[in-house]
Amino acid sequence: MDRITLPERPDWRAKAAELGFTFADMHGEPYWDETSAYAFSLEEIEGRVEDPCTELHAMCREAVGKVLADEALMERMGLPRLRWEFIRDSWEAGEPEVYGRFDLAYDGKGPAKLLEYNADTPTSLYESASFQWLWYEDQLAARVLPEGSDQFNRLHEALVERFAEIFPADTDLHFAAMSGAPEDYATVETMAWAAREAGMGAHYTDLEKIGISEDGQFTDADDRVIGTLFKLYPWEDLFADEFSAHLASAQCRFIEPPWKALVSNKAILPVLWQMFPGHPNLLPSFFADDTKGLADAAHLMLAGHVTKPIFSREGASVTITTQGRVLERATNREYDRHPMIVQAYAPLPVMGGFRPVIGAWVVGETCVGLGVREDRALITQDLSRFKPHFIEG
Amino acid sequence: MKRSRAVSLGILGAAAFGLAACQQEEQTDAAAFPDIESCTAAAAQGGWFTREDCETTFADAQAVHAETAPRYESQELCEQEHGAGNCGGDTVAGSGGGGSIFMPLLAGYLIGQALGGGRAMAQPVVPKAGGGYATPTGGTQLSRLNSTGKMGATAFAKGPTTAGQPPMSRAAVASRGGFGGSAATRSVGS
Repeated sequence: MDRITLPERPDWRAKAAELGFTFADMHGEPYWDETSAYAFSLEEIEGRVEDPCTELHAMCREAVGKVLADEALMERMGLPRLRWEFIRDSWEAGEPEVYGRFDLAYDGKGPAKLLEYNADTPTSLYESASFQWLWYEDQLAARVLPEGSDQFNRLHEALVERFAEIFPADTDLHFAAMSGAPEDYATVETMAWAAREAGMGAHYTDLEKIGISEDGQFTDADDRVIGTLFKLYPWEDLFADEFSAHLASAQCRFIEPPWKALVSNKAILPVLWQMFPGHPNLLPSFFADDTKGLADAAHLMLAGHVTKPIFSREGASVTITTQGRVLERATNREYDRHPMIVQAYAPLPVMGGFRPVIGAWVVGETCVGLGVREDRALITQDLSRFKPHFIEG
Repeated sequence: MKRSRAVSLGILGAAAFGLAACQQEEQTDAAAFPDIESCTAAAAQGGWFTREDCETTFADAQAVHAETAPRYESQELCEQEHGAGNCGGDTVAGSGGGGSIFMPLLAGYLIGQALGGGRAMAQPVVPKAGGGYATPTGGTQLSRLNSTGKMGATAFAKGPTTAGQPPMSRAAVASRGGFGGSAATRSVGS
């Protein structure tokens, strides 16, 4: 892995504006940044990212079976007992997953280490699947990148194939996000393009506009019944919402399926470590109150440890401790009230003054692409930048 | 090759979702503007619509807005749906009676190329609470104005007449809103 300075496309800002990529700058900082790009070898992509992430996903599926069979582990997931059956039913019915994103620490030398699995509501789909792809094709055409190079990015095609695989043609799908967040809407819309290309009907509704019919079915802003709902909104929040009592009886199929509430949950990380101790792509992880486990693993945490809430977005409420001292503490503490896990600290590499995190995309059960985000800070938060990547020829 | 052979580069916030959303819905060239001036400025740079189209469609959009914009029994209810400061009293004189009907203000308009030629199509857009815009039925959503792209022709279908009809009461919208209350941050993705 290398971070290489490249000429920007002279017209990329005009292209971004024309395509409606309105959040290419966010919070007064660049978000899309193509002044440099990450270069990988093909062996690296396949051996260090693609195959390990497909395997990690299979391991997560195995962990779901284990958690559902163990009441003590289910308790650890921090989800309301009233919804356990709903979650279990979705797993036993084999409800298919569509997508997820592994966040990995990778320094180009050792194996990639799993930081967490955004298996329920991953965003940055538009940047990864579409705008990054366009960057590559433009740079190839401009001869900035050579013939024989490539990009690990089958994301769009894989999504089209996945929709066609799991739904009959012409199925009507509803897509919902919270209003007022353009970056969330972009992910939902990118998903909807793929669904349409797969021959589905795609309808949008603001999540807050969803209603309930007299028959107990969910309805969109125009009172049409929702048969299948893609919701860019976390399961743990749906379970806490007023309509949660209707979830199981609404005759609605969900994407991602309810069992993803167990996988996107950081409580899955200690479970994975219990099941696959010493796996090269896993970091030693424990529940924060597991004092014996932590004491026994002290020799595995010499580089320090990271405390994370089981539910958290954009690095909120994360704390990094090394040598007994707090090295960095996220300023956003919104998730402090949740149970915590402790994970061995895997420092991100520093490249050109930035720390990249690899986002490896899974569609269905296979790893199909990647996107890189980098941040100056130790904890990747909402001021991080999205960086394009390519595979050297 | 480890990348997609082709990726649909649709326009964000413009056209991925259509109202009727049948697969074969015909697409047409469309543009969204906040006012006539923005439209005529765009027309001056060439394209499929003219300054005259800007003017006639704006007048059409104003009329359709007056006829089909959603109507509410209170300012508060209207602002809940369309955002603070985005609502006013009913613009149609004598509509409903009593003078206590509120509707979202006209925020801009869509102009569309008529399929098979002829007069350009028009549709008003109103603000949405939390940002963005929507056609009066809410069937087509836009994240921003001053945008152009392809759009399903059904976006230009006229919604049901609301002028002279009883306004929506809180009960009519109260069966909604059971989701979204638990979001911790504005953007919930990760």
